[in-house]
Amino acid sequence: MKKSIVIIGIFLTFLITYFLQSNFFSWFTIAGIKPNLFVMLALFITLFAGIKVGIPYSLFFGIFLDIVTAKSFGIYTIMLTAISILAGYFDKNFSKDSKITIMLMVLASTLLFEIGSYILSIIMQNINVQILEFVKILLIELIYNIILTIIIYPILQQVGYKMEDIFKGQKILTKYF
Amino acid sequence: MYNKKRKGIIGIIITIVILIFIVIVSNIETNNLSYAQNVFSFFVMPVQNGLTYLKNWIFGNDNFFTDISNLKEENEKLKEENSNLEKSLREYEIIKSENETLKEYVNLKNKYNEYETVPAYVINKDISNYSNVIVINVGTNDGINVNMPVISDKGLVGHIISVTPTNAKVQTIIDTASSVSCILTSSRDTLIAKGTLEGSSNLKATYIGPEATIMQGNTLETSGLGGIYPKGILVGTVNKVITTKNITDRYALIDTAVNFNKLETVLVITK
Repeated sequence: MKKSIVIIGIFLTFLITYFLQSNFFSWFTIAGIKPNLFVMLALFITLFAGIKVGIPYSLFFGIFLDIVTAKSFGIYTIMLTAISILAGYFDKNFSKDSKITIMLMVLASTLLFEIGSYILSIIMQNINVQILEFVKILLIELIYNIILTIIIYPILQQVGYKMEDIFKGQKILTKYF
Repeated sequence: MYNKKRKGIIGIIITIVILIFIVIVSNIETNNLSYAQNVFSFFVMPVQNGLTYLKNWIFGNDNFFTDISNLKEENEKLKEENSNLEKSLREYEIIKSENETLKEYVNLKNKYNEYETVPAYVINKDISNYSNVIVINVGTNDGINVNMPVISDKGLVGHIISVTPTNAKVQTIIDTASSVSCILTSSRDTLIAKGTLEGSSNLKATYIGPEATIMQGNTLETSGLGGIYPKGILVGTVNKVITTKNITDRYALIDTAVNFNKLETVLVITK
């Protein structure tokens, strides 16, 4: 019962995130640069619910975004799944109690997602390569994502640990004892 | 414990304030100083008003405030009148906005009456920082197909890259994968305008011939080559010409005719 509520909750969060990203953050930008909320969403779901839950969600989010907004199919699907795999590695090796660790995880995930997406865009869409402009966008986006992480961290921690209890249950104890 | 929680909340509030400040400052245009003017006015004007009142009082102009009861009555009447006016103003604003949208459609139709067009609304914009694709509310049900050009009342917008029965994706000319064959309106020299990552209203014009005459302020229109865009649709204006050691490598920065941040209505050219 609890699991189904959380599963529906995650889908609703995704929809809210989608509307925030395509409406609110299309004008609430830093020098015209938007944050990337989907990277944060994929990262947090996998961190707290585990890789077995995170990867299917990332695949679904990626396919949805590729169909609805992207120029060519595959970039969001591949990169969000990659974020989930990275988040699974973080989950096994790092503690989620520290705000700094979470910020570093967001930083690494955003870096992976943006660099990967840009390389895939160059390959799949034959776009003009502009390294300097790309680095400028990347830096601003990293700062923006970290600021947002600082703001949402308390809610994230509370919701995240509840989610962890539901999805991982007793497995958490075996990790520490 | 309580102090720690309080400090956390204060930290979040400070971060939100800083974020809002960064967003506002980073999006201010350098030539637009009305914000600064407002801030200065906020501090200066009360003092200025006080000094003016003092001057009037000294010169015997303070008798305006003598009859307080009359003033109260008058104030009530004015308040009522004001609320009625505000209501009318709101109604007027709604009608005005509807009228502008309809006018836009009519202007669009008249301007490009040699083409068969389908009007559409922009319903979604790209969520990525590296591409510029928009979604419009017409699809195969309205006769829309892939590669059809999309224009607005100001000029060229892009072309359809994928279509469903009810909506279509448009790759705009500012997208990094976009290349448009153009000619300079004045000299008829040809060049290629490509999308860049710099800003949402810039193009980079390359392949400028060594004998081509290109200057700031020149306008660009589609050449009709390439098979997607028809000839003669305005693309933008030359903002800056960058000369290099090798004249064949020179390029120009183009300001697009269309403001993609405020794009709401478009026309799809079907024939």
